[in-house]
Amino acid sequence: MENAQKFSARNLDFYYGDVKALDDISITIGKNQVTALIGPSGCGKSTFLRCLNRMNDLIPGTRVQGLIHLDGEDIYAPKVDVVNLRRRVGMVFQKPNPFPKTIFENVAYGLRVNGIKDKKSLRQQVEKSLHQAALWEEVKDRLNGSALGLSGGQQQRLCIARALAVEPDVLLMDEPASALDPIATQKIEDLIHELKKNFTIIIVTHSMQQAARVSDITAFFYMGKLIETGDTETVFTRPSLQQTEDYITGRFG
Amino acid sequence: MEDRKHFVNSLEKLKMMLLNMATMTRRAVENANQAFQDRNEGLAQAVIDGDHAINDLEVQIDNISLKLLALEQPMARDLRFIIGAMRISNDLERIADQAVNVAERTLFLCQHPPLDPIPAMEQLMEVTGDMLDRAIKSFVEEDPKQAISIREMDDTADHWTMVVLQTLIENMVQNTPEGEKRLVNTRRSVQTIIASRCLERVGDLSTNIGEHVAFIVTGMNVKHQKIAF
Repeated sequence: MENAQKFSARNLDFYYGDVKALDDISITIGKNQVTALIGPSGCGKSTFLRCLNRMNDLIPGTRVQGLIHLDGEDIYAPKVDVVNLRRRVGMVFQKPNPFPKTIFENVAYGLRVNGIKDKKSLRQQVEKSLHQAALWEEVKDRLNGSALGLSGGQQQRLCIARALAVEPDVLLMDEPASALDPIATQKIEDLIHELKKNFTIIIVTHSMQQAARVSDITAFFYMGKLIETGDTETVFTRPSLQQTEDYITGRFG
Repeated sequence: MEDRKHFVNSLEKLKMMLLNMATMTRRAVENANQAFQDRNEGLAQAVIDGDHAINDLEVQIDNISLKLLALEQPMARDLRFIIGAMRISNDLERIADQAVNVAERTLFLCQHPPLDPIPAMEQLMEVTGDMLDRAIKSFVEEDPKQAISIREMDDTADHWTMVVLQTLIENMVQNTPEGEKRLVNTRRSVQTIIASRCLERVGDLSTNIGEHVAFIVTGMNVKHQKIAF
């Protein structure tokens, strides 16, 4: 992998109570790359994604063992400011979840939480984020309109703009296009290609074609284990392991 | 996740069609060679008449492959198999065209007295027939090692093609009487040289098929590369 290392997980185990959901995961995620996590439902890919910005901390009874480093620093170390971690590692969810506020306020939300009050700075950052999310042209004349009036695809790009506004390093995407139609999906995928120039992206997807289209690296999870990681092109044309081959060719179970 | 039964059945059907095409092509080459050696016009004509069935199969294989690529979005080995199937059927069709060409030369040669036997021509038929057999067998057995080994036979095929050429050049230059007989002798020789070139192409195209088989099985593109398995 030529790109500098952004995330590194070493021997990561994760438990929901007594249930081991992740088993000895070790993976390195390169900077400014798109890494796709694939695997059947319940394989641990979303759990792993949520470990990367400690979203799982919010679920009672969960436990982590092993190491995850972001830019060489242990994100589970006691001194880590989790709010700051989540600012650096933003997240976009399966269903668009805009706040019932204006378009402007949705994007400005994280900035205000971070204490930015200057109107000019807010306006500049909101516009920049909407540009980055390829939404500016569609909403520039109705920034004070309700975010809930946008289409599903626009709402999802608004959520991406909201995540980008606080200038994260990494964007985690949990099936970001699964609730969208093909055109909106295409826009999100185009956006991912653009965003990787400035951000590291890790995406969970159930669509193998989507993983193949948008990612540089693909990691295949099965039953809590990381089975195979490699260049997306290699994984989808000549995977090393039979289990990966069986999954991506639909011969599982 | 469910097994993709429908898709898997379609791939199986594609494989059977390809094997069918391979068998028909092998028979066309064999019959063309036999017709050439025995000066059998009926058999030569049968090779020519039978070519459309092989052409039809190529079109059918193309259509099914295109449909599977578009509708099933295959990955990994499935993807390689479909691409390989299209390439192999294309090469089989071209091999069958070479058989037709040999058959056409045979029809011409049957109109004239025979040349002296050319042992190198028999050797060429044998080695190129073996190359095609091995290509088909490697496909059936999914054996990349066997598939790649066809390359080694190509030098032998080239050698016998050259011997045929030299023999017939000598024949044309040294042993021809004057007048009409010289013209006939030259024509017979040239037609035989063309037939030998066709057989050499059968060897080349069989080598290609071996490379496609290696690609299907291993995922490695071995064209123009010295790779051993």
